[in-house]
Amino acid sequence: MKSKRLLYILLAVVVIGGAVGYTLWNKPHQDIGAAKADIAIDAVALYNEYNTDENAANAKYLDKVVAITGKVKEAAKDGDGAVKVSLEAGSDMGVVACELSPFASHARTDFQAGEQVTFKGKCTGLNLDVIFVECVEAKK
Amino acid sequence: MQKFIFVFAALFLLGNSGYAQKLFTRDAKIKFSSDTPMEKIEGLNKSGTCVLDAATGKMEWKVLIKGFLFEKALMQEHFNENYLESSTFPNAQFKGQITNLSEINFSQDGKYTAKAGGKLTIHGVERDVNVEGTVKVSKGSVEVLSNFVVKPEDYKITIPSLVKDNIAKEIKVVVSAVLQPLKS
Repeated sequence: MKSKRLLYILLAVVVIGGAVGYTLWNKPHQDIGAAKADIAIDAVALYNEYNTDENAANAKYLDKVVAITGKVKEAAKDGDGAVKVSLEAGSDMGVVACELSPFASHARTDFQAGEQVTFKGKCTGLNLDVIFVECVEAKK
Repeated sequence: MQKFIFVFAALFLLGNSGYAQKLFTRDAKIKFSSDTPMEKIEGLNKSGTCVLDAATGKMEWKVLIKGFLFEKALMQEHFNENYLESSTFPNAQFKGQITNLSEINFSQDGKYTAKAGGKLTIHGVERDVNVEGTVKVSKGSVEVLSNFVVKPEDYKITIPSLVKDNIAKEIKVVVSAVLQPLKS
């Protein structure tokens, strides 16, 4: 009788363990659209910070949800339908590039040059441009 | 006579600058995959930079590690935090040279086999590598493509023994870039 109870407990542990493991394994990407931005900044100011002191800017922005506002320089769609929006950074050398998230749904994927937009996304650092991934347009 | 020398010099300079140009993109794609019977892991980055000097064959690629996206959030997290340690080593790069430049004609449309050698830096570890690929020239744009293999242990990327069967010993890497003349 005792061994039967032990068996049930063991079974429960295995099922719960499995469920926890499975849930962790399938943990979804962070819902950037619903997330509150850790920091909000203008594209030109951000680009300047990066070109003044890259390490300091990385310490401040990497792995954070950043709300980035700027003027659209161009928007491009690649062969897979992925959208990258370049925001003017006040320089001829680079832009603030925002890759729209492939994990989220988007109210729109067409952006016009010259319009003012705010994206929430994750900053990945400086590679000529300051590059953001997993971007979602912030609701006005 | 002076006029003649001037014209000659001008022509000479023009002729030289014809393909003394740099080609560039900020939309290079870097994809890698690890294939084992246990699982398939793929990471993709669409914002790599690549600059190629068509005159000398010098070539540089650079990509930010945190810009690699994975289907599963957990894979992305492990990749950044445990394996590539992207906060310490934020980028990967290749600096090298096309070694068979004489076999590639950048001013004539066509598909050429290219060989490149140079230094590949991943996870802060720099190694000499030689890779093969193709250069496709069409209507002023140049597409560069290469497939090669990277071994995590060569770059001091430690895979915990618990998951060692889930991650391939050889990671397949595909890099591709459509380059445009750099306006200077």
